Amino acid sequence: MNAFTMALRNILRQRARSLVTIGAMAFAGAIMILYVSLIEGFTDAMVRNMISNSLGDMQIHAKGYLDDPDLYTLVPDPDSLAARLEAKGYHAAPRWYGIGLAASGESSAAVTLRGVDLERERTVTRTHEHVARGRWLDGGDLKGAVIGRRLARTLNVDVGDEIVFLSQAADGSLANDLFIVRGVLKTVSEPVDRAGFFIPRETFTELMLVDDAASEIAVALPSRETRLEAATQEAAALAPGLEVKSWRALSPVMAKMVDTAGAGTYIMLLIVYSAIGMVVLNAMLMNVFERIREYGIMKALGMGPWRVAGLVYAEAALTALIACAVAALGGGALSWWAQTSGIDLSVFGAGEDFATFGGMAFEPVWYARLTPAAVVRPLATLAAVVMIAALYPCVKAAVIRPVEAIHHR
Amino acid sequence: MMKFIRWITALTALAAAVAMAQPADPVARARAILDEIDDLWRGESSRALVAMTVTTAHYTRRLLMEGWSQGKDNSLVVIREPLKERGVATLKTGDSVYSYLPKTDRAIRLTAGMMMGSWMGSHFTNDDLVKESRLSGDYDPVISFEGERGGRRIMEFTLMPRPEAAVVWGKIIIEAHADTRLPIRSVYYDEDGKVARTMTFTNIRSMGGRLMPGLMRVVPADKPEESTELEYREIEFDIPIAEGFFSLANLKRR
Repeated sequence: MNAFTMALRNILRQRARSLVTIGAMAFAGAIMILYVSLIEGFTDAMVRNMISNSLGDMQIHAKGYLDDPDLYTLVPDPDSLAARLEAKGYHAAPRWYGIGLAASGESSAAVTLRGVDLERERTVTRTHEHVARGRWLDGGDLKGAVIGRRLARTLNVDVGDEIVFLSQAADGSLANDLFIVRGVLKTVSEPVDRAGFFIPRETFTELMLVDDAASEIAVALPSRETRLEAATQEAAALAPGLEVKSWRALSPVMAKMVDTAGAGTYIMLLIVYSAIGMVVLNAMLMNVFERIREYGIMKALGMGPWRVAGLVYAEAALTALIACAVAALGGGALSWWAQTSGIDLSVFGAGEDFATFGGMAFEPVWYARLTPAAVVRPLATLAAVVMIAALYPCVKAAVIRPVEAIHHR
Repeated sequence: MMKFIRWITALTALAAAVAMAQPADPVARARAILDEIDDLWRGESSRALVAMTVTTAHYTRRLLMEGWSQGKDNSLVVIREPLKERGVATLKTGDSVYSYLPKTDRAIRLTAGMMMGSWMGSHFTNDDLVKESRLSGDYDPVISFEGERGGRRIMEFTLMPRPEAAVVWGKIIIEAHADTRLPIRSVYYDEDGKVARTMTFTNIRSMGGRLMPGLMRVVPADKPEESTELEYREIEFDIPIAEGFFSLANLKRR
């Protein structure tokens, strides 16, 4: 009779107690699977939001542009580069940036003029979906501008009002034009809210006198499964002499946040599981004391301490295994529900249709993201905690002296 | 630029000022000279036609502009050439500065945040263009050198900003001819004591009845290969200027 068969019999002998122990472990495991997948969903949504609101998965610039952005350090022939990237399955959108002054009546504000490739930009980011009032840019309305929400307030303008834009073109001459507010954006990101001034690319290049060259090319990966590092290398090969950076390099703060979110979940796991460890320790100790005479007889019959320890350990391992299986099913189901239905945060006052976090727009529905890691990490930690908690009862059973044990009462 | 017109005018008149007041204390003397400059600026009016050449790493551009000034509060600069920017005007009345854009037929009021921005792509800032540089009010002047330098008899003023003055420069050193009191060179230092830009005055000739430098050149210290040159084609002083000339309404009418 091997250790596991005996362990199984031992578990079945105290059904109620085993059920409570396994139940507690499985419940904690399932909740932690849900917790980890919610955290994964949250960080993923944060990254997705950042990427789809403006950043893109990668960006391509002329060397030196990021250190000193101006109208002279540009990506030459952006359309053919975008076409080359698109041929490889990427989505690419050339962008133009300039700084200037926007004024309406007596109010004025410094703005970032953003030239938008209307067809390509919507394949990379979703800014066009974030119009609060009015409409997004249109190729048929070259003097129609879409502006950030706080900028609209600063200039005291709304859809249909006019804005004078003033800047310095690439040849040093005065660039100025009159625009009509076509749309006002929702909260997108702090820089866009405060100073975003979107116009079609044709209008930008004509106004600022930059010929066929773009400030930036934003690139979106072919699918969410594409590996970022490999993609960055592939894009770099397609853009010789240019600077290709992934969002992790462009936004190291966000990358660090995502990385440390994982470490945070381990701390949470340890806190919750230490309570489970106590439950396991208690149950196992009760089992050992209950069967102390049994173990004494086993040892008297010649069973070595290692085998006794193995027997107790097998019981703990079997308990953990059953609990993990139940937790995987229960937690998986919970997470699956949270991934598909989401948790509506608007009831907590997130307001409007977009909540903000750290200056970035968020959908108010919190979706979990059930990844293999979200299941394996809580369960592996659970098993590890149980095995550590079982050590003491094991040792206790192993070092029993047969004569005393048999007379124990 | 009107500031420079005035500035040049003022320095030209320094000789008379110094002749009138010659206090023994060098600090008081320097202050007296600069006070005279301020006083001389007041109540003056002028008109000038100036050609500006801007040379940068990325472009070279030439502009012809006409400027008027009256007192310390009013000035107006209108671009005459090139055609693309013809009619672009910068107006200062009192504390307000407006930029009139004929393409849009709108006047924009410049905010404080824009004052250090480049004016018309040159190495002058909007602040240079419009600020009433009350040197004696904002700076404590001393005559830091008087005598021969480079074969010329010169006077050197060192201007340190007063603690309470809201000025952009940490120090200004002005060199002038000792006899004519015409400026030769002025060096502007930033708040860290580093040279920010150097202005040189050459081509001294008689204009508008006064002897003055006809060419002014500014070179930014961080980009020594770049420069902006102002060449005075015409200048007149004490001209009659109609009421309401320095007004937004007139800006649009012009």
